[in-house]
Amino acid sequence: MRAIIIDDERLARAELRKLLQDFPEVEVVDEAANAEEGISKIEAQNPDLIFLDIQMPGKTGFDMLASLERSPNVIFTTAYDEYALKAFEVNALDYLLKPVEPKRLADAIQKLHFVESKEPVGNGEHTNRSLLSENDQVFVKDGERCWFVRLSDIRLFESVGNYAKVFFGNNKPLILKSLNALEERLDEKTFFRANRKHIVNLRMIDKIEPYFNGGLLLELKGGEKIEVSRRQTVKFKEMMSL
Amino acid sequence: MCQLIGWGMVVASMLFFARAFNITISKNVLFGRIAIVFVGGILTTHILRLFIKWRGWMLQSVEKVIPKLAIAMVITSLMFSLFILACIGLFDLPHEKQTFAARLLASTVNNGLLILAWVLIYYFYHFIEKSRKQQLETLQLEALIKELELKTIKAHINPHFIFNSLNSIRALIDENPARARTAITELSNILRSSMQADKTETVSFEKELSIVKDYLALENMRFEDRLKVEYEIDEDTLDQQVPPMMLQTLVENAIKHGISKHIRGGVIKIISDYKNQYHQLAVQNTGNLNGGLNAEGFGLSSTQNRLGLLYGDKASFEIKQVTPSTVEAKVLIPVQMN
Repeated sequence: MRAIIIDDERLARAELRKLLQDFPEVEVVDEAANAEEGISKIEAQNPDLIFLDIQMPGKTGFDMLASLERSPNVIFTTAYDEYALKAFEVNALDYLLKPVEPKRLADAIQKLHFVESKEPVGNGEHTNRSLLSENDQVFVKDGERCWFVRLSDIRLFESVGNYAKVFFGNNKPLILKSLNALEERLDEKTFFRANRKHIVNLRMIDKIEPYFNGGLLLELKGGEKIEVSRRQTVKFKEMMSL
Repeated sequence: MCQLIGWGMVVASMLFFARAFNITISKNVLFGRIAIVFVGGILTTHILRLFIKWRGWMLQSVEKVIPKLAIAMVITSLMFSLFILACIGLFDLPHEKQTFAARLLASTVNNGLLILAWVLIYYFYHFIEKSRKQQLETLQLEALIKELELKTIKAHINPHFIFNSLNSIRALIDENPARARTAITELSNILRSSMQADKTETVSFEKELSIVKDYLALENMRFEDRLKVEYEIDEDTLDQQVPPMMLQTLVENAIKHGISKHIRGGVIKIISDYKNQYHQLAVQNTGNLNGGLNAEGFGLSSTQNRLGLLYGDKASFEIKQVTPSTVEAKVLIPVQMN
């Protein structure tokens, strides 16, 4: 596993690097001292894993993740942050408290191995890095709450001004991305632009009904009803037929 | 006790009226009557008082109590009159030549007025007593709250800082063992002083400054070249008394907003000198006061509160932008002469 450590304190990075020496499977390929540096290094190195401090100058760790196209696996490191810890408990994200206990670190890495072996997110697959695959996860932050979401779990993107509402599970947080920008990054085999305002996950469609004007009405697994415009209906039928 | 004084006054007024109007009855009869009224009054109203207490009438609402009280007053007055008439009969004192019933009625009405006065005084007294007690309790409660507030304010040291420092120290153990050792001493000093801060209201500025220096040394270890510290200390101010951990709180705040949020860090400057009749303590940091201070949180409001609790309105605290890139938090404490 190739990892990047992102923390604003040099000593904290040095300490974590040292602890990671006991885990030959984790190779620390780079370090970053703030969110901006983190983003550029993640894009350059494309790591499997990042160790991320939450409180950093400029952007926080959460903000950094939210601005990434695709999130690598993340283990948060924090000294003491009640507010952040609450967010973790809700979403079962993995975190380490500084100073890091070696056993906790071992558990966290072990857990990642387990996830990796169950759902291979082999990076070699991504020949085209600009396109997001179904197994990619994104980090979504809406106010105080945050989630890691696999694209395959997302049913629907809905355009709300400059924002997009992301539907998954029982949540529908807003992210600051336009629907057009999203469409460019999403795999069109899975995500279909149904109309001006909606992108649906084709695997999350429950029912398809004819609609007036020669359009279609899709009912998603979450109960949302989405109209497919006439022009897109032709495309939709093309894609769904053999 | 009040009963004795009250009825004593009734007796005195009876004597006064007897004298004033030169009522011509023998002294024996007069004193006999007075004694009967005195004893009877105390006896019956005492029973009334016990009854009021037993039924808890003092605590009930006025509308509920008034009708009950009226009945109780009539009964008490009747009992009082019966007592008087019985005594008069018993000791064979002279009385008006009327039927017993008529005398009883007249006496009841007469004494009813006395009882009414008694009830009014009784209630008035208790009302004042109660509100006085309440006021006392409120004051005591306020003092307690103040004390507790002061304690929690003083005991406050950012856990984020403690754990980050410990983490840095762990990294230093290999890299620079000597620095790691001094860092442990510095952290111990800070923890000790934050615990002791509960016990005293003020400490010498010298002591407070040494804690702040330890604190900044530790932050320097964490932030390295992102943090620069400058001191501008008038040595004469070292003997002044200051609230413990107050400068510390301000410095912590300056680090939080001036250094840790900025990628390139900044400068912290600590100033202590005399200004007119005040000991001026100021902490400057690089940065901007982006509009409101509400987001500044616990540190600053607690400083304001502490100064208020310790010095009333004699001390002052303000935070403002002094240059486009410098924020200053300034405390003025009245100078104490030794």
